[in-house]
Amino acid sequence: MTDLSQTPGATSLILAESLDMTAASPLKAQLLAARGSALSLDASAVRRLGGQCLQVLLAARAAWTADGGDWRIATASEEFADAVRLMGCPDLVADALTPSDFAPLQD
Amino acid sequence: MDPLAAIRETFFQECEEQLAELESGLLAMEAGDADSETINAVFRAVHSIKGGAGAFSLEALVRFAHVFETSLDEMRSGRLASSDGVVKTLLRAADVLADHVRAAHDGSSIDEAHTAELAEELKALGPEGGDTSESEEDWGDFSFQPLSAAAPAAPATAGWRVRFKPRADLYAKANEAALLLRELGRLGETEVALDDSGLPDLADLDPEAAYLAWTVTLTGDADETAVREVFEFVDGDCELEVEPIVADGGSAGAPADLGEPEIPTTEPDGNLDIGVLLARVQAAAAPQAPPEVPSGAPAPAAAATLAEPSPQDGQGPSRKPEAGATIRVDLERVDRLIDLVGELVINQAMLSQRVMEAGFARASGVAMGLDELEQLTREIQDSVMAIRAQPVKSVFQRMPRLVREVAAMTGKPVRLVTEGEGTEVDKTVIERLADPLTHMIRNAIDHGLESPEKREAAGKPAEGVVRLTAAHRSGRIVIEVADDGGGINRERVKSIAAERGLIAADAALSDEEIDNLIFMPGFSTASTVSDISGRGVGMDVVKRSIQALGGRIAIASRPGKGSTFTMSLPLTLAVLDGMVVSVQGQTLVAPITAIVETLLPKAGDVHSLGGHARVIAIRDSYTPLIDVGMALGYRTTPLDATQGVALLIEGEGGARAALLVDAIQGQRQVVIKSLEANYRQVPGVAAATILGDGRVALILDIDTIVAVSRGADSLRAEKRLAATG
Repeated sequence: MTDLSQTPGATSLILAESLDMTAASPLKAQLLAARGSALSLDASAVRRLGGQCLQVLLAARAAWTADGGDWRIATASEEFADAVRLMGCPDLVADALTPSDFAPLQD
Repeated sequence: MDPLAAIRETFFQECEEQLAELESGLLAMEAGDADSETINAVFRAVHSIKGGAGAFSLEALVRFAHVFETSLDEMRSGRLASSDGVVKTLLRAADVLADHVRAAHDGSSIDEAHTAELAEELKALGPEGGDTSESEEDWGDFSFQPLSAAAPAAPATAGWRVRFKPRADLYAKANEAALLLRELGRLGETEVALDDSGLPDLADLDPEAAYLAWTVTLTGDADETAVREVFEFVDGDCELEVEPIVADGGSAGAPADLGEPEIPTTEPDGNLDIGVLLARVQAAAAPQAPPEVPSGAPAPAAAATLAEPSPQDGQGPSRKPEAGATIRVDLERVDRLIDLVGELVINQAMLSQRVMEAGFARASGVAMGLDELEQLTREIQDSVMAIRAQPVKSVFQRMPRLVREVAAMTGKPVRLVTEGEGTEVDKTVIERLADPLTHMIRNAIDHGLESPEKREAAGKPAEGVVRLTAAHRSGRIVIEVADDGGGINRERVKSIAAERGLIAADAALSDEEIDNLIFMPGFSTASTVSDISGRGVGMDVVKRSIQALGGRIAIASRPGKGSTFTMSLPLTLAVLDGMVVSVQGQTLVAPITAIVETLLPKAGDVHSLGGHARVIAIRDSYTPLIDVGMALGYRTTPLDATQGVALLIEGEGGARAALLVDAIQGQRQVVIKSLEANYRQVPGVAAATILGDGRVALILDIDTIVAVSRGADSLRAEKRLAATG
């Protein structure tokens, strides 16, 4: 599978499988460390997304937008996509590729 | 009433409300108040009537409503000014619309010519002069499309708007917003709007704090309880606002639309399914169904009377269901009213007594006036009680979720069967039933049901059944929680009770007595405290909460077949029809619902069984004769049966006994004053009351007295329980 999230010059972060409460603090640290460069997130391994990690992601997106930088979630698992839709921010994965997108691509 | 007829009836009731709304709107417009809000309200009223009429294929009504609506739409869009003449036409059109509604309701004829004339006038108002082809199309929509959210009428809720903001504690306790939102999604169609306005900068963000809030627009027939239940376990860990969405236009739209009174004209989004509507209307109509009540039960009997159409109804075209079918009243006000009525009853009784003491003749004007007053007082009381009577459904419907959760925790497949949800009982009783019921159902699944493997080994289906039923029986409500599990393990119960020092190790106890040990304080069969039932709350607490309601709880268990807990509760906590009797100089009250007949025992009919035990021959059977004075300890030598009066009573399980009292003073409605609340529980006494002369009389707990006199052991057990409890 080609890494579709690869953008030249961008930082790429792979999000942990479980983005529950305990993951919020490390996630924030990771994101803060990446600030300043275009950021592409890979959420394809995420199985759980909690409200607190969602907060961190939304704040990060706002920060990047304020900086004028590129920030996006490039790939997302179905679980991740479901969770953000459920929590009322489907736009977070609007550009992301989900497993269902891969099938026709591989054909 | 059959469901469809009930829905139709509801539709017409709602039509009346819409017509009232329409008229008041038009009158406001006539008075010069033609703001968009008023015009919208008027449009909405006509639109709702049209929508509902479409669902019932009331073609003439739909056609006229459509023409009417078209004119109003012109006005709404600003193409038609609300001049005096226009409003006058609209007002007349409103009258024609009302005629149509009435005609559709009772089958009376309508003035076709007048309708046509008005329709022409209305069409003349609009620039396009009304479009019949659109009318056809529109009509089709209402016949075959699911009814629009706007159609059913304003007072019904189309759903709920839930604003939910977790606090940090919610996450800290391992709860997740996503799960709650998903759970909400199970109740119906949801639209989730995220509010991230509280979100700080990434750098300032505390990863463990909570900043997000959600507003969920839930459409569907879920009731408020169901919505709140989703948040049951995060109570206090989040801010929660649940408010109904009134079924008018735009309700099903996105939250952003909510502020705008914009009405979708034909096919609004988020249509309500007709099935959903049907269920809702049925639910709304349910309390009107006459509850199954024995005569003599004060509260629901009155409810039944209220539910019957009043005699003025059905007198042809003039009948008009009252507008504003329901109002919400603060419970405190109702309670205050009930208290006052209680005082009124006591006062009325006192007054009667004074009048009698003053020596007025029965036929005197004063005495007759008092009789009428008594009648009125009773009617007031019944009516007031009926306000508080509610179906137990509100408690019962919380249980399926509990069962699912406990089943998941214990790994036991369980099916909950409920019956008699429509049984009505006083609201206070309902409210205070939730905790004991929850506990008993948890117990039934955790302790009552065996594991699926054990069940299969015993030749039973792997899925256990817990049955929750409610019914009215002899003026009380009887609620049963039954499981089809293994029944009480009596050996184990006995050994545990002995271990805990509740009974002597060598005590000889009957099966029934062993079963009742589980109600003793300090008894818990689970050797390890489990998450589900072992929360430090034993069956003794359940028993005490039931007793505090003036109820009793009994257990019946059959090895291998399961256990049944039976709770018997008074329908209301406020009044009782009683037989006032005297025993050894004391005035006592026996609940009339339990009394089958009264008789004067003849010497030949009473037989001694040795000791103080006696039976009385009543027709062709022998019935235990219980001396109330002995049972309550007023005297030590039994009363000569021929000197007293026997009250033949029927207890909880249908068992009969004759209670021997000294004399009957009369029959009276008494206001119940709790003995537990003011003193403490006394075995054999259910409550107290204040008599007309100001004295306190005790109200007999018939079943306990019968049980007590059956076996001295159970008496001691009762007393022990009461003493420790």
